[in-house]
Amino acid sequence: MNQKFHPEQIRQLLNRSLSQIEQPTLERLREARTQALARYDAHNTAPAFAWAGNSSRPEHSANLRHKPYYYWVGAMLLVALLFSGATYWQHATTEQDISEVDIAILTDDLPMHVYVD
Amino acid sequence: MVLMLLFRNLALILGIFALLGQPALAATQPWEKLTPVQQQALSPLSKEWNTLSDDQQQRFLGLAKRYPHLTPLQKQRLHDRLERWSKLTPQQRKRAREKYQAFSKVPPETREQVKQMVRQQEAGITPASGVPPAAPAP
Repeated sequence: MNQKFHPEQIRQLLNRSLSQIEQPTLERLREARTQALARYDAHNTAPAFAWAGNSSRPEHSANLRHKPYYYWVGAMLLVALLFSGATYWQHATTEQDISEVDIAILTDDLPMHVYVD
Repeated sequence: MVLMLLFRNLALILGIFALLGQPALAATQPWEKLTPVQQQALSPLSKEWNTLSDDQQQRFLGLAKRYPHLTPLQKQRLHDRLERWSKLTPQQRKRAREKYQAFSKVPPETREQVKQMVRQQEAGITPASGVPPAAPAP
């Protein structure tokens, strides 16, 4: 067991073992490989479509079918909150500025009619 | 698909925006509900307060916030001018603000000269113009 194999030797050993495998086993291995490759392809393309709700991965499609909806609603809520916050902040700042000018006019040492048409 | 989702939830999204987009959902406040400080600051408006719009009330409440920080003279001026201010049109108030802000940018020396001129004009107002003289004759 302590014998060290060269990579080339390992390759030869594997090939030799492969030639000893029975045909039905080989068929099953081939089928499994094909399925694995198909799954690998689907996995690589899924994220792009998943956002649009088109995932082709059967084991994930059930999960992802409703996820885009939540993502969009969540994103919209976030945008709405940000928009609301920005609007509120702007409104409050404007109101504060107006109040400052108003109080300045109403308490200025110049009479109010100087500023009023 | 994305567009379909957006359209499907358009009402919901618009509703959220409409609700959250409103910066201040302020309702009118009856005079009785104002704090003593607010009532004191806005006392010249006590009679007409309940007829003012939400926006007007909010503006005046903004003024009332600053009332405690005013000097007695400024408080007196505020009370003297508040009623007339409330009767101005929004356009007139906007114009007055613009004029005040423009005047604030004038160099202090020039501003003082203008103030001096206005004071002289004020002092020269005769009883015929509807305003009593500054020092009535004994």
